[in-house]
Amino acid sequence: MGMISKLIGIVFAAAGFILLFFGMNDTSGLSFVYSLLGLITMSFGFALLTAGKPKEEKPPPPTVTEIRCNDCDFKEIRDFKKGDYVLKPVEDACPKCQTGMTIEGVYIIREEPKETYNV
Amino acid sequence: MQLGADNEFSWIINIAFFAFIMIFSLYGAKFQIWQYLKQIEIGLHEMKRMFVESRQTAIETFKEYGLSEEVVAKELDQFMDYFTIMPVDLDPAGILKRLDHLLDVRRDRFQEFVAELAPESGESMNQNLENTLEVTQVLGLIYRVVRHFYILGKKTGSQIMIMQIHMQMPDLLRLAKAYFDAIGAFSEGKPIGDGVGPLVITKFAREYGATPESYNHEISREVGYYMVEVEGRTVYALRATGPGGTVGKPGFGVKNLMEKYGNKISRIITVDAALKFEGETLGRVAEGTGAAIGDPGPEKHAMEQAATEYGIGIEAIVVKEDEAAAVGIMDKKILDAVPEVIERIKTVIQKRTKPGESIILAGIGNTIGIGL
Ligand SMILES: [Zn+2]
Repeated sequence: MGMISKLIGIVFAAAGFILLFFGMNDTSGLSFVYSLLGLITMSFGFALLTAGKPKEEKPPPPTVTEIRCNDCDFKEIRDFKKGDYVLKPVEDACPKCQTGMTIEGVYIIREEPKETYNV
Repeated sequence: MQLGADNEFSWIINIAFFAFIMIFSLYGAKFQIWQYLKQIEIGLHEMKRMFVESRQTAIETFKEYGLSEEVVAKELDQFMDYFTIMPVDLDPAGILKRLDHLLDVRRDRFQEFVAELAPESGESMNQNLENTLEVTQVLGLIYRVVRHFYILGKKTGSQIMIMQIHMQMPDLLRLAKAYFDAIGAFSEGKPIGDGVGPLVITKFAREYGATPESYNHEISREVGYYMVEVEGRTVYALRATGPGGTVGKPGFGVKNLMEKYGNKISRIITVDAALKFEGETLGRVAEGTGAAIGDPGPEKHAMEQAATEYGIGIEAIVVKEDEAAAVGIMDKKILDAVPEVIERIKTVIQKRTKPGESIILAGIGNTIGIGL
């Protein structure tokens, strides 16, 4: 979709430019009409060229719950469940060493902003 | 080579050219105002959508706790424009006391309202519902204020009114978006970026053996503390009580602790989230002097007063966040900043206090989703 509309935009812009040029060199009474038509076609073409992609609403990143074992280095990350909170002791025992586990964090990972400012 | 030169149509172009100049010099400003109004309208529609959707979320959250949707919607709409009148400042003597009293009364009223509207929910969930209600109110307020100026501007044709609101529109939309994105966090009890203060406190206290059972409740309204020994010093680690969403009254907590253990305390350390500048990295840790707390005044005053009275140092360690991160679900980067904050607290304790002394460590922020 993006590529095609850009191509059409280039075609329109070029056609408009030729029309405008033709109209300016024409000495008949229709020169004004040609020029105007050329300008309109050209601006239409440029509008197509510079049009950005329609903004799509991205779904927010999922909230995850990070669980860690109290003793060893076992770590589990799963989807957030209602009732989870940070520092809540988890009912399940650690699969590695069978001691208790705690929710160490409930968080989301936001996307890095695309624009960077070189200042 | 000239447009329409030397032919019978050239006068048309001349007239068109002059007409163009005339129209734009006479009506250019009108055209621009019309454009401004259109842009405000687009933003206003966006604000309305956010308000309506958050109201719906609030209704759906409330109706899980006992009452029917119709009753909840009716009561909620009635409460939507609940306001607080700021105390008169012509007679400034005792204004903080009056403001504090008003805020207490307001808080009571909110708690009463939530308890009535959600009879089957527990204390912790009540606090989350309170927060949900407040977010919806903020969105409603932004929408109503902008709509007021939009309609007034249209009615009076006042350019300055329209331009003012047009200029503030991007910022207002950003703020509204931040709150709108946060409503999910509040209704489901997820921790938010502002909760980094209390989180640091509990993680720090746990390193030195504190448990949920060793937490001393209600040193002030919805605020308690752990008492831990850190390298020969006694640290009173204070925070609001979670995991329900509350900021409590930590300023008065500090004041009460000072009154209780005052002669031994030699330093107050506050930990909070602070607004970052654009361009600064999210989750950056910074230090400074003073009480890091963003309340309307009484809490901060209580802390400063306590520190001044006893002549002890008061310092702040903050985690930099933007509005969206502070009221939205906690970002990984903020969670990752916690160990660094704890390291800095240890450095402060080692460098600027002596063994045998006591320290107040106060974590300021909303405790939603952050357990003891
Ligand atoms: Zn383990």
